[in-house]
Amino acid sequence: MFGCSAAEVIGQNVSLLMPEPFRSQHDGYIARFLKTGQANIIDKGRELVAQRRDGSLFQVFLSVGRIAGLEAPRFVGLMQDITDRKRVFEALRRERDRAQAYLDLVEVMLVSLSADGTISLVNRKGCELLGWPEDELIGRNWFETCIPEDVRPGVEAMFKGLIEGTASPVDYAENEIVTRSGRRKLIAWRNVTLRDERGLISGTLSSGEDVTEQRRAMEALSKSELLLREAQAIAGLGNYETRLPAGPTHWSLQMHGILGTSPERGALSLEDFVRRVVHPDDRRRFTAAWHDLVSGKGSLDMEYRIRRPDGSTRHIHTLGRLTRDAEGHALVVGTLLDITERKRAEEDMRQAQDRLTQFGRLSTMGEMAAGLAHEINQPLTAISNYAQALQRLLATPETADDEDIEFALGQISAQALRAGEVIRRLRAFVKDREAHTEVTDAARLAGDLLVFAESDARLNDIRLVNEADEGLPSVACDPVQIQQVVLNLIRNAIDATNEARPARREIRIRTSLDDRGDVEISVEDHGPGISTQVAQNLGNPFFTTKAHGTGLGIAISRSILRAHGGRLAHRPTPGGGATVFFTLPAHAARA
Amino acid sequence: MKEKPATVFVIDDDEAVRTSLRLLLKSVGLPVETFASAQEFLDQYDEDRAGCLVLDIRMPGISGLELQQHLNDRNSITPIVFITGHGDVPMAVEAMQAGAVDFIQKPFRDQDLIDRINRALEKDGAMRSELRERDEIRRRMSQLTPREREVLDLVTQGKANKVIAGDLNVSQRTVEIHRARVMEKMGAGSLAHLVRMVIEANREL
Repeated sequence: MFGCSAAEVIGQNVSLLMPEPFRSQHDGYIARFLKTGQANIIDKGRELVAQRRDGSLFQVFLSVGRIAGLEAPRFVGLMQDITDRKRVFEALRRERDRAQAYLDLVEVMLVSLSADGTISLVNRKGCELLGWPEDELIGRNWFETCIPEDVRPGVEAMFKGLIEGTASPVDYAENEIVTRSGRRKLIAWRNVTLRDERGLISGTLSSGEDVTEQRRAMEALSKSELLLREAQAIAGLGNYETRLPAGPTHWSLQMHGILGTSPERGALSLEDFVRRVVHPDDRRRFTAAWHDLVSGKGSLDMEYRIRRPDGSTRHIHTLGRLTRDAEGHALVVGTLLDITERKRAEEDMRQAQDRLTQFGRLSTMGEMAAGLAHEINQPLTAISNYAQALQRLLATPETADDEDIEFALGQISAQALRAGEVIRRLRAFVKDREAHTEVTDAARLAGDLLVFAESDARLNDIRLVNEADEGLPSVACDPVQIQQVVLNLIRNAIDATNEARPARREIRIRTSLDDRGDVEISVEDHGPGISTQVAQNLGNPFFTTKAHGTGLGIAISRSILRAHGGRLAHRPTPGGGATVFFTLPAHAARA
Repeated sequence: MKEKPATVFVIDDDEAVRTSLRLLLKSVGLPVETFASAQEFLDQYDEDRAGCLVLDIRMPGISGLELQQHLNDRNSITPIVFITGHGDVPMAVEAMQAGAVDFIQKPFRDQDLIDRINRALEKDGAMRSELRERDEIRRRMSQLTPREREVLDLVTQGKANKVIAGDLNVSQRTVEIHRARVMEKMGAGSLAHLVRMVIEANREL
C-alpha cells in the first residue's frame, strides 16, 4: 500500500506514512492527546491523505484505537485505501450539485414534501416566489406555511390522497399559495409521487409555475375576445379561416349570424358555401375571385349576394388574405361584412340623385316649354291646315287640283312624322330613366337635342350656332344627362341674352379638344357676364338669379359632370358675356 | 284707281305652316301670297294693295310685332291677323293694343281663321272706301277758291249769311253766291251733308 517492505517501516515513526505538514505535527497531536485527552482521530476514524514511499499521495480512511491496559500509551491504526470510493463519491456530489444548479436554474418552483407534509426540498425559484430563505423553509409544514387558509383543506386532502395512494397524481392542478409577505399567487402544479426503496410512497415532488400573470392575461384576453365578438356583432363583421385546399374551416359566431347558419353545425366547406350560401347569380364571380385569391393573384375584396336559409338575400362585402398558419399550411383568413343596409342607403341615394336629375331635366324642359310647344305646334298646325284644305278641295271636286290634294296628303304624313320625332326626343329626354353609360361621338352630343334649344332660341330671336371640331374622340357618358347639361347651359345663355339685350343676339356652342386632351363643350353668350358675387354662389343649390328659376340647374349639372369625371367652369366671353364650359374625359382616340 | 283683288299676305318662317296656309286659303278661293320673313314682305310691300296680313307673331329677324310697328309708322291700314303660339297671350295683347284686328292661336280651326281673315278683309275694304271718300272730299275742297274756302269754314261753324257778310265785309248777296258755289263744288245736297263731309275730311284715319 505504501510501496515499501515491512522491514523498512517497522520501528519507524508512523508519521513516515504521512505527507507534510501532518508528518511534522504528528507527534504534537499525540502529545496533545496525552496531555488533554482531546482526540481528533482516536475512536473516530477519519479520512486522511497518506504518503507512499515514492512520495505520491492517496486517500485513506484511518481509524486509530488506543490499546487499553498498558502503561505506556499504545495505539493501533487501521488504514483503508479509499481512493476509488472517494472518486465515486466526488462524482456523485458533482452530479448532485449539478442537479441542484439545474433545479435552481429552471424558472419553475420545485417543492418536495415528505409524507407528513414537511418541506424536504425547495429550489431557488421556489424560495424566490415564497419569499423565504431555503433553510427556513426546509422542515416546515408546507400546508401551514405556504397554503392560504381558505384553500388549505382542499389542497391538503388532495395531498393526503396522493400519499395514501387513493388518488393518482393529476397531470395538472392549480392552487393558490401564499408568500411570506401574505401575497397570494396562483401556481400551476405538476406532481409526481416519490417512493422509498421499499416502493412505498414517501412523499411528493411538484413543479409549480406562477401563472398569476398568465391567468390575468388570459382573463384580459378572453375579455378582449368577448369585446371583439361584441364589436363584430355591432359592426356586423364576421371572420373566417379556411385551410387550403378546402380543409377545416373556422367561422366566427358573427359570421354565422350574418349567413344565418347554425354555429353548432360549424363552418361549411367551401363547396357547400358556394352551393348553398352564395347567390346563384354571383357564384361564378365569387368562384373566380376565390380562385384568384388562392392562386396568389391578389387578395380578395369583393361584394356579392348571399341567400340566407330564411330565403332573404343580403349583400356581403368580404376581404380575404392568403397566409400560412404556424405549421406552414396555406390558409385564407378574412372578414365578412353585411352591407345590405349600406347598399340600400346607396341605392336610395342613387335613386334620389336620379330623381333630382330627372327633376332637373323636367325643369329645364319646363323652361323651354315655349320652344317645345312651338316645335310640336308647327307640324300640328300644318297638318290641321292641310286636312281642312283637303276637306274643302274634296267638297268641290270639279274645281279641285289633283296635285294640291296629293301634296296635302303627303305633307300631312310628313308633318305627323315631324311632330312624332319631336315627341320621341322629348320622351327620351324626360322619361324617368336610370343613368347608363355609352360610348358616344362627342360631336353628336351637343347636336342631337339642339332642336329644342334652337326653337327656344328662335322664339327669343337668338341665333344658335353649333360648331364641332373635326376628329374629336368619343366619350363614355350618359348622353341624355350630358344633353341635359348642354340644354341647361343654353337655357341660361338665352336668359342672359334677354337680360342684357346685346346687339349680338347669338349663342355659340362649341365642341372641341382642350389642351389636356379632354373634350370640352362650351356655351358662349354675349349677355351681362357672370359677376363675382354670382360666381361665388354658382352651383349652390337653390341659388338663382332668375325670377322663376329653381336654382338647381347648375347644381345638377355639376353633379352629373362629377359622376362623369368632368368639370364645369366659366370664363368671360371676349367682348363681353359669359362662356360656360364643361369637360369630359376622352374615352379613346378616334380610330 | 285700279283695284287688284284683296289678297291675304301670309308671313311665317315655318315652311310647313306657310305652305299649308297657302293651300288652305286657296281652297276657299282667297288669293294668297306667302313670305318666309318680314323683310321679304317689306321688300315688295305696296300699301295701296287691298288685303290683309296673316302674321306669325314670333319670327327670327324682324318679329311679327316689329313688322306691325313698321307698318304703323308708315300709316299702313292693312289689317293684321296674328298667329300666336301657345303661351303668347301677352304678346297678342300687345299686338291688339297696337291695332291688330285679331289673333288666333295655333293650331286652329280653318273656319276660325277664315272668319278672321274675312273680317279683316271687310275692314280693309271699308277702310279703303272711307279713305277713297275722304280723298274725294279733300280733292273737291282743294278746288274751292280762297274766298269760297272762307265761306265754307264760316258756314260749317253754323253762322248765318248776314253774320258771314259782316265778318267778310261783303254784301249778303255775295255770301249767298259763294255759298251756292261751295255747295255745288262739294256736291253737298244740304248743309248737314256739307258739315259731315268737312268733319270726314279732317278726320285722321
